[in-house]
Amino acid sequence: MPEPGREPGPRPGLEVLRPGLQTTVQDAGRRAAALGVPGGGAADPLSLRLANALVGNPPGAAALELTLSGPTLRFQADALAALCGAPFAASLDGQPFPLGRAVAVRAGQTLATGATARGARATLALRGGLDGEQAFGSRSTDLWAGFGGHAGRALRAGDHLTWGDASPARPPRAFLAPGLQTATGPVHVLRVLPTPEAAPPLLAALTRGFFTVSAQADRMGARLSEGVPAPHDPARVSLPNVPGAVQLPPGGQPILLLPDAGTHGGYPTPLVVASVDRPRLGQLRPGDRVAFRPVTLAQALAALRAQERAIRGVEAALRGWYKEA
Amino acid sequence: MPDADPGLPRDLPPDWPPDRPPGLTPLGDGALLLRPVRARALLAELGRRPLPGVLEAVPALDALLLRYDPLGTDPGRLAAALEERLAALETAAGAPGRTLTLPVAFGGPDLAWCAAHAGLDVSAFVEAVCAAPLEVAFLGFTPGFAFLSGLPPHLQMPRLPTPRARVPAGSVALGGPWAGVYPRDTPGGWRLIGHTDAPLFDLARPDPVWWQAGDRVRLVPADA
Repeated sequence: MPEPGREPGPRPGLEVLRPGLQTTVQDAGRRAAALGVPGGGAADPLSLRLANALVGNPPGAAALELTLSGPTLRFQADALAALCGAPFAASLDGQPFPLGRAVAVRAGQTLATGATARGARATLALRGGLDGEQAFGSRSTDLWAGFGGHAGRALRAGDHLTWGDASPARPPRAFLAPGLQTATGPVHVLRVLPTPEAAPPLLAALTRGFFTVSAQADRMGARLSEGVPAPHDPARVSLPNVPGAVQLPPGGQPILLLPDAGTHGGYPTPLVVASVDRPRLGQLRPGDRVAFRPVTLAQALAALRAQERAIRGVEAALRGWYKEA
Repeated sequence: MPDADPGLPRDLPPDWPPDRPPGLTPLGDGALLLRPVRARALLAELGRRPLPGVLEAVPALDALLLRYDPLGTDPGRLAAALEERLAALETAAGAPGRTLTLPVAFGGPDLAWCAAHAGLDVSAFVEAVCAAPLEVAFLGFTPGFAFLSGLPPHLQMPRLPTPRARVPAGSVALGGPWAGVYPRDTPGGWRLIGHTDAPLFDLARPDPVWWQAGDRVRLVPADA
């Protein structure tokens, strides 16, 4: 919102010089699965919340999601930016750009992000929140359906992005404790809740050892390389997918469902990743190793509450900074 | 098979499988799958009187998925509240859904094949399809794609052995027990019997998707 007394000028913006491998606008996602629309939203929602908190945005404001190799952006206006998530190499006019803290960017400066050696994704938040097309109450880009975010697609060189005209603020000196951010592998032991489709032999096969993330890993899902004996049930009807479901197609290679997965699926889903570990799915990278550790509902919820307390602590502290600034 | 044992606990968690009434299945720590007889009525009821903490209700065939906020909702309390609602529904009258009319230009590439498969000539086949009491069972596959139930057995068509790489938007199709309309160009393996210009999906509208689960649908010839 423009401040009272200030002339509403053009929205502050930037130009995409290099798009990176797959850079998209994402926010907290949508709730329209009843209409066949995937939830979408940041693949690592924890990175989105932390990056937004660092620049004084609401937790679900739209930001850029970087994948494996990030973009180069030339700023045409002053900005306050924060990069959270996988440790992407990043520099601002050649100077190192720190991760996990808010950084003031001047008009005319160029932010260049490179690759990440661990994990897969990071969030670049800008104070004011990125603009983007809304669809079903969210600015998230649905690449497959082709709507939301920036023209329903990943960024291209020459694209122009704008963000909300927020009140200017000095960046807080705070930086995030490394333990707060989503773990980036290369080894992931994911807490899971078995479903009634996890018959004891299947559950034993799924929890016996490590799987490898295959090259088929995107925002819809991550297929694992090693197979387990899959139950064959041609009569199974399509049921709604839940976030974090582990799907088992007839070939037996488990697929971990990410935010852009279809709303319904006909394959058995013997495991569901606990909510506390769902942000880690967005950091799965081809070649990473994944194991499943069954936990009780009580254990899953206790871990989620502990994580939430820590994040809300960060959000409250940063809100306090911006209120005084 | 996965490789060497990473030293994970092999014991099953003590509260799994959960001891809950049949028809109410926890899926992870943020969702419950319900298979009540009156799934559709429950969906309507939750639309009228939302339960606190429920993020969304997603219908499927004879099932309803409820996604809830595990930080704001106790799954046990939610399950109890749902059972209470269901018990009340057993005695209440079902709310009538909308009835929608879908104009169809019959003449898809598979129309003649489908008519022959049903043992009818094309005009009798079209008449039979238009007489079928179709209902939106649920939406899925792609935004706005509706799975329409209610085809009588002789109108149910086997899917194509190999899906078409591109089915044009607006194609009216039959596949297995279902009828459906492709809201946008996608690959698809159902038999194409016609085309509709009905605006099924338009992001410029407040309600971008034309239909919803529970709606009754009648196909009518577009030139009639």
